[in-house]
Amino acid sequence: MDKIRMKVNGEWAEFDLTIDFQSSDSLAYVLKEKMGLTGLKVACDEGACGACTIIKDGRAVLSCMLLAVEADGCEIQTIEGLATDDPVVKAFADQCEPGYGTAMQCGYCTPGFVMASKALLNEIPNPTDEQITEKLSGNLCRCGTYPAVRRAVLKAAALKTNQ
Amino acid sequence: MEKFKSRKPRKYTGTYRPKKEGLEKASGRALYLDDIIRKGKDQNLLFAKMLRCPYPHARIKSIDTTDAEKLPGVKTILTYDDPEVTAFKPSNASWTGLDTRHYESMDWPMYMDRLVLPDTGVWVGDIVGAAVAAESYDIAEKALKLLKIEWEVLPFVLDPEKAMQPDAPVIHPEINPEGNVHPGGGWAGPDVFMDRGDVDKAFAEADEITEVTSKHHNADHAVLDTRGCCVHWEGDRLICWTNLYQGDQARMFLANMFELPVNKVRVCIPWVGGSFGRGNTGDQPFLILTALLARRTGRPVKYKHTRREDFHDTRNALTWTIKMGAKKDGAITAMYFYGIANSGAYADSTMAALKHIPGIEMGECQQAHIPNLRMEGYVVYTNIIPGSCMRGIGNAQVNLAIGLAVDVMAEKLKMDPLELVIKNFGHEWEPLPNESLKACLYGGAKKIGWKDRHGPGETKGVKKRGMGFSFNMGWHSSWQEVARGHVQLGIKLNPDLSLILEAPMVETGVGSNSCAVFACAESLDFLNIKPEDIHWISTVDTDTGYKDMVQTDSAVSFLHAELMPKGAARLKQDLLVICAGYLDTTADKIDIENAVVFFKDDPEKRQKVKDILWDNDIAPVLVTVSEIMPGEKTGIPYIATFADVEVDTETGKVDIIKLVVVNDCGTVMFAPGAEGQQIGGQCMGIGETLTEEIIYDDATGVPLNFNWIDYKIPTMADFPTIEPVLLEVWKGAGEYGACGLGESTTTCTARAVANAIYNATGVRMDEIPFKPEKVLSALSEAAQ
Repeated sequence: MDKIRMKVNGEWAEFDLTIDFQSSDSLAYVLKEKMGLTGLKVACDEGACGACTIIKDGRAVLSCMLLAVEADGCEIQTIEGLATDDPVVKAFADQCEPGYGTAMQCGYCTPGFVMASKALLNEIPNPTDEQITEKLSGNLCRCGTYPAVRRAVLKAAALKTNQ
Repeated sequence: MEKFKSRKPRKYTGTYRPKKEGLEKASGRALYLDDIIRKGKDQNLLFAKMLRCPYPHARIKSIDTTDAEKLPGVKTILTYDDPEVTAFKPSNASWTGLDTRHYESMDWPMYMDRLVLPDTGVWVGDIVGAAVAAESYDIAEKALKLLKIEWEVLPFVLDPEKAMQPDAPVIHPEINPEGNVHPGGGWAGPDVFMDRGDVDKAFAEADEITEVTSKHHNADHAVLDTRGCCVHWEGDRLICWTNLYQGDQARMFLANMFELPVNKVRVCIPWVGGSFGRGNTGDQPFLILTALLARRTGRPVKYKHTRREDFHDTRNALTWTIKMGAKKDGAITAMYFYGIANSGAYADSTMAALKHIPGIEMGECQQAHIPNLRMEGYVVYTNIIPGSCMRGIGNAQVNLAIGLAVDVMAEKLKMDPLELVIKNFGHEWEPLPNESLKACLYGGAKKIGWKDRHGPGETKGVKKRGMGFSFNMGWHSSWQEVARGHVQLGIKLNPDLSLILEAPMVETGVGSNSCAVFACAESLDFLNIKPEDIHWISTVDTDTGYKDMVQTDSAVSFLHAELMPKGAARLKQDLLVICAGYLDTTADKIDIENAVVFFKDDPEKRQKVKDILWDNDIAPVLVTVSEIMPGEKTGIPYIATFADVEVDTETGKVDIIKLVVVNDCGTVMFAPGAEGQQIGGQCMGIGETLTEEIIYDDATGVPLNFNWIDYKIPTMADFPTIEPVLLEVWKGAGEYGACGLGESTTTCTARAVANAIYNATGVRMDEIPFKPEKVLSALSEAAQ
């Protein structure tokens, strides 16, 4: 294999091995460095925090733990592929319901949480609290916004249902 | 959940509204250091790696760089014996404090125990010996591995009490040639740093005496956005992008170390992915080394910690022993504090954690009504990761001990601990009881169901429930911020009445920008300005000349806000003069309301301010304010945390069922932001209480879990129900009279949980974190 192709946010992109990337480079590296898709964050680079979460073929994956070559032929969605009025983005941005705090503080984990939540809602349109916990406990937020994130996901589910 | 009730409802501050930059962050558009400084954007970029000491204590006898230099892609290698490196004066990681003073005249000078690139490493992970700039991180890393290094491995010590023994290896002979205890005296103060009344006599006359010991550990900030910088030189100007949280201090440090005029250094800081006090303050050797590599190569050089390397400083490990004496009626007559602080490999701010907060802030404030008080403490070097500021300086550590002493004493006196606290603690400006403290304790007690609390260990069955609490004075009111010097801001009004706000502070997530923007909008109500009309400049750039308000403290929640009414008044006056000229009248005859200027004696004669500005070629209208915070001594409000826990006596697992976090903050500036701090602080609070712990191999001194798989940070699944309670009982000076709350939210968690574990099981366990194996062994020990 000397080339990979992937459909990123709806458009096909092609990368040459050795020119554009090395076989040991992660998908996160190619998306961020080569495509300038800077929304994803690499915070641990070892699959422990979820900040680099993107959607690959409909499922939330850690882009720091996938080699770029593993994405060959795949459909990738990054946070840049979401509209600013996307219900998940909007729910995270607007969360200020009393008693829960805001759904982000420093914001470094937020794109990862948004993409994990997006994949969750694609799979389970109206998740329970337990399902949200199950699906989002791979993402770390050191600012500790988890209760507000949960409210944002529930709100996004309601927004989607109403759309 | 319930909304908090504001004492004085305002238009924007204190209301529930989205975070100012919510959409920017939720859509992934907010740019952080790694998003801005990329090879993909700048092909000229080089990458730096710095050698890490693999031993807890070792000296480099020689380095041979021949093979490393031959590696393609390696651009330059600096070593410890390079004349440009050895020319730098020693420094420390807490160099500048809050102020922007010279190296020689700092408020809190600290020990100068760091060299920019030493030949001797004093902990596993210390930057030592060599730094490389190369075309990629991988190449730089390979180059480090190709260095031929001859090490002299030295004896090491991890435990502070062992480090105090006469035969212990001396870690910083340049600071103390005799041993590892940091020299007292001078700026560090005496070892017995507080001694009022007659403590010995009071103990002799006390009806009850308790003596307790609590040990706090090196929890890590564990911030997602690892520290880094990128430096390039434009001629003789040094340009530094970084995600440290102090633009001015970093600028002062670089200028001072490179002996450059201050305006030859420019520091830019974009959005930062968390901080919590790490690397406090702007002084980090990696800034200097990166700048030097950039100057050598003539190219921009980026340096960024890996996750492992970002375990770089921690909460100070501190053990407090408290002896408390009281009369039968619950009057605490004497307290004696004895503290041993493990500073780890460098002094950092550990002396402040030991003496400043527990002594000046609490001894003279919270413990003001304890007539006989003695405090004694020692800071000790060891060969572990250095301690620094983390959500406060020493507050969580001393709270762990005070909350224990109170709980034990109350039981002896057969008193409700809440009543014991209310009877004895307050601050020096007011008689007891303290209204803020009462409100926090009674408010929290009601929410947790304190009246149903049973006696210690009185539940049957395998799983035992219990309740506990702890309390502390709060953090940062305006009078405590006078030492910061001037707070500065600039308001720039465009002709369309949109506005640019220069209120420089590095936004690390704490929401202080939202506070400033909301205060700005409500102060400019006469122009009908709304928060969304305000563009707050998110990148701190020292070239603007404005001082940035360092996020070393949660005081940033009100510092800029307090200046807004004055800025608004000035802006109005300037606008009146401008409009008067246009309307052919004088400023005193007109007024502005609702963005319309009108004649006071004939309100029907009116015109939109916007139209006048557009027509006059005079906009933007600029106003700057530079003021010191009001110094009026208003005291400081209180905080409290209540915990309801369940202990599984078969597995040793502690489950926190609920936490109630109560903060009196004077004025709530940004309600969801404040509640977010109260809830979010528990990520650290719960973590350092139950699961987070740096583990060393005692035989080699090597830390074993500098990663997020083995260093366990709470996830959503680990979060209990947390009820935030905001109060406005106390009030500081100024328009808002708020105080900070970020640090305080983690202060009481560990003690509240520990007291709840005791209440559940009847067994005291006083060394956090309460991991199952520790809980089980404490339970079985007690059963024997």
